[in-house]
Amino acid sequence: MGELIAFYLLAGIAVATALAMVITRNAVHSALFLVLNLVVVAVFYLLLGAPFVAMVQIAVYAGAVMVLFLFVIMMLGAERVGGTTGLRWQVPLAGALGAALIGGTLFAFLRAPAGLAPVGSPPVPFGDPAAIGERLLTTYVLPFEITSVLLLIAMIGAVVLARDSGPEGK
Amino acid sequence: MVPLTWYLLVATALFCIGVYGVLARRNAIAILMAIELMLNAVNLSLVAFWRYLHPTATTGQVFALFVLVVAAAEAAAGLALIISIYRNRETVDVENIDLLKG
Amino acid sequence: MELSWWAHLWSVLPEIVLVLAAALMMAVDAWLPEGRKRELGYWAIGGLAAALTVTAVQAAQLAGGIAVPYEAFGGSVRADLAAMLFRVIFLLAGILTVAISMDFRPLRQSGEYYILLLISVLGMGLMGAAVNLVMLYLALETVGIALYLLAGYLRDTPRSAEAGLKYFLFGVFSSTIMLYGLALIYGFTGEIAYARIAQALAGLPAPAVMAALLLILVGFGFKVSAVPFHFWTPDVYEGAPTPVTAFISVASKAAGFAVLIRAMIEAFPTAQANWVAIMAALAFVTMTVGNLLAIPQRNLKRLLAYSSIAQAGYILIGIAAASPLGVAASIFYLGIYTLMNIAAFAVAVIMTNVTGSEEIRDLAGLSRRSPGLALAMLAALLSLGGIPPLVGFFAKLLVFAAAIESGLLWLAIAGVLNAMVAFYYYIMVARAMYVDRSPEEEKPVWISRPARFTLWFTVAGVLLLTVLVYPLYLLAQMAAQAF
Repeated sequence: MGELIAFYLLAGIAVATALAMVITRNAVHSALFLVLNLVVVAVFYLLLGAPFVAMVQIAVYAGAVMVLFLFVIMMLGAERVGGTTGLRWQVPLAGALGAALIGGTLFAFLRAPAGLAPVGSPPVPFGDPAAIGERLLTTYVLPFEITSVLLLIAMIGAVVLARDSGPEGK
Repeated sequence: MVPLTWYLLVATALFCIGVYGVLARRNAIAILMAIELMLNAVNLSLVAFWRYLHPTATTGQVFALFVLVVAAAEAAAGLALIISIYRNRETVDVENIDLLKG
Repeated sequence: MELSWWAHLWSVLPEIVLVLAAALMMAVDAWLPEGRKRELGYWAIGGLAAALTVTAVQAAQLAGGIAVPYEAFGGSVRADLAAMLFRVIFLLAGILTVAISMDFRPLRQSGEYYILLLISVLGMGLMGAAVNLVMLYLALETVGIALYLLAGYLRDTPRSAEAGLKYFLFGVFSSTIMLYGLALIYGFTGEIAYARIAQALAGLPAPAVMAALLLILVGFGFKVSAVPFHFWTPDVYEGAPTPVTAFISVASKAAGFAVLIRAMIEAFPTAQANWVAIMAALAFVTMTVGNLLAIPQRNLKRLLAYSSIAQAGYILIGIAAASPLGVAASIFYLGIYTLMNIAAFAVAVIMTNVTGSEEIRDLAGLSRRSPGLALAMLAALLSLGGIPPLVGFFAKLLVFAAAIESGLLWLAIAGVLNAMVAFYYYIMVARAMYVDRSPEEEKPVWISRPARFTLWFTVAGVLLLTVLVYPLYLLAQMAAQAF
């Protein structure tokens, strides 16, 4: 029962922060709401028994990535360019699309009782870094190596594009 | 324990709010944040699927970790492109970014 | 079956060569003095050519039966003839793109540009070989991020920066929607390997599979720029540096088709009735919208953008046919399309260098100004239009034949009608080159040596393949059987 109450509370906060994030006009506030949302989702990961993913979520996502966002927002002074679009057809379309997706999923999940309870407990130790690390370096070693290439090019590209051109354009 | 359906509903709700944000916002940084919210929602459903339906292999968790890495790389590349356009146009409002007529 | 370490490495040997080449280029970039940065292009071509050699040997071994197809790295990638042939397309497109980049005026020569290009080719190779969802998503994102950065590479040019941002926002949005579909597939089946997904999906209710499939097709549709996921195409093609546009229009599209074909055949065979209908509809809308919107274009790059959308429509016909002939036809078409489209973009690059503009009317008098260049463009356009003696005609013939064989007669008829519409705007470009006059006719056109190589290679390729249609078709057929 306690877990259920905690879940409802967290779910409420998650949805509320997400809504606040897309509605607020100030980009800095948006970013802070997103941080809050990411932290709540990290707590979900803990509830689900995935502590490693939760820690990575806090450290990398809520930490590093969002600091980068805030840094760029403040550097560009872009916090005030907000609001929703002036293209009038897009907002109702977005609303309708969102409602349709939620409705469709609700319908699909409520009609499929198979997914209501866990089919079994994960073997112990299930979510610990050692087990995940072992899989990353055996079964998933190729995708793992590719992520290093991915991060490398993102870094190279970011450096090239964001570097100051200097006075004579070189 | 909380039924899987509830987790999936929360994930879907977050995903849809993200979609709404991408379509309705016009600040490029806000759009990028909405996309991060969508990725976050996908990750939540991946971990929930793993825990409830397929707990014997860690596949769902590993998938979620890869998505986290990609999200970080996307944020870096996207923010670099935004800085680059800001240098040129002094704006990050996608409606003012209109040299190319679509 | 336990694979040896060498068998694992063999499956991604071209990618290993590319990573080493990229690392080498970082060192060379630091070592080359400022005035000699142009030579970086030759290093990049060297790296790509080395990978191409490796791939060609592997493809020959697979085609000759010396090597057998297998899955490596825990079921992440598959080494088969289709993966190798797609790699050949990507690597060739990479080499030809580097050759037209080397003397493209607006582009500062730098190691980073070529490294991004090499890594995107690497990602494409893995896209073509990926047989599980994790590998698919990572390869797709590697290619995507490299290409977004390349499209926005001219950071002092507002149009390029804008193209980069637009490409990025559309690309990331669609790939995230696709990712949701992948997550649903994982949730339904608990599997991420294509083959096991196919088994598990057989017992699932069709609407659930359909929903996931539609989400996934958003991501694939973006990559191949199929209507209605094409909105980014004209803007990005116009704004991106022209060599990058050539590369996106050819290699990125081919990579999109590679994952599309493999995923549909290997992961969704049980939902075939559903996706055939979707593909047929996509093919019809894509070629029709692409061709109709191409007609009013005055900018050469925008015209080629809409033309490339239409070409994607023809290629989708082959997939909609969902038969060995259809898949072979699509692969055949992609190979030919690579050569034809790069030839057309090479002319655009050369003209941009000379006139500083990309308008079609600035091609006026080209036939007198540079007869060879005009002839190359004409060959590319006629082949794109599918005029009989040229190889582009056989490509169209094959996809239409595949459609008829699979009972999609209406689609084949729509394709023929579309080809006639397309003929009109290709001829308009030819008219500008051959009929219109311009005061600039006396000025010669400067063509750099690497660009000349690209032109010769592509045009000679189109002409040679016109003669060698049958062997090429046999090769495509063998690749189609590899799935």
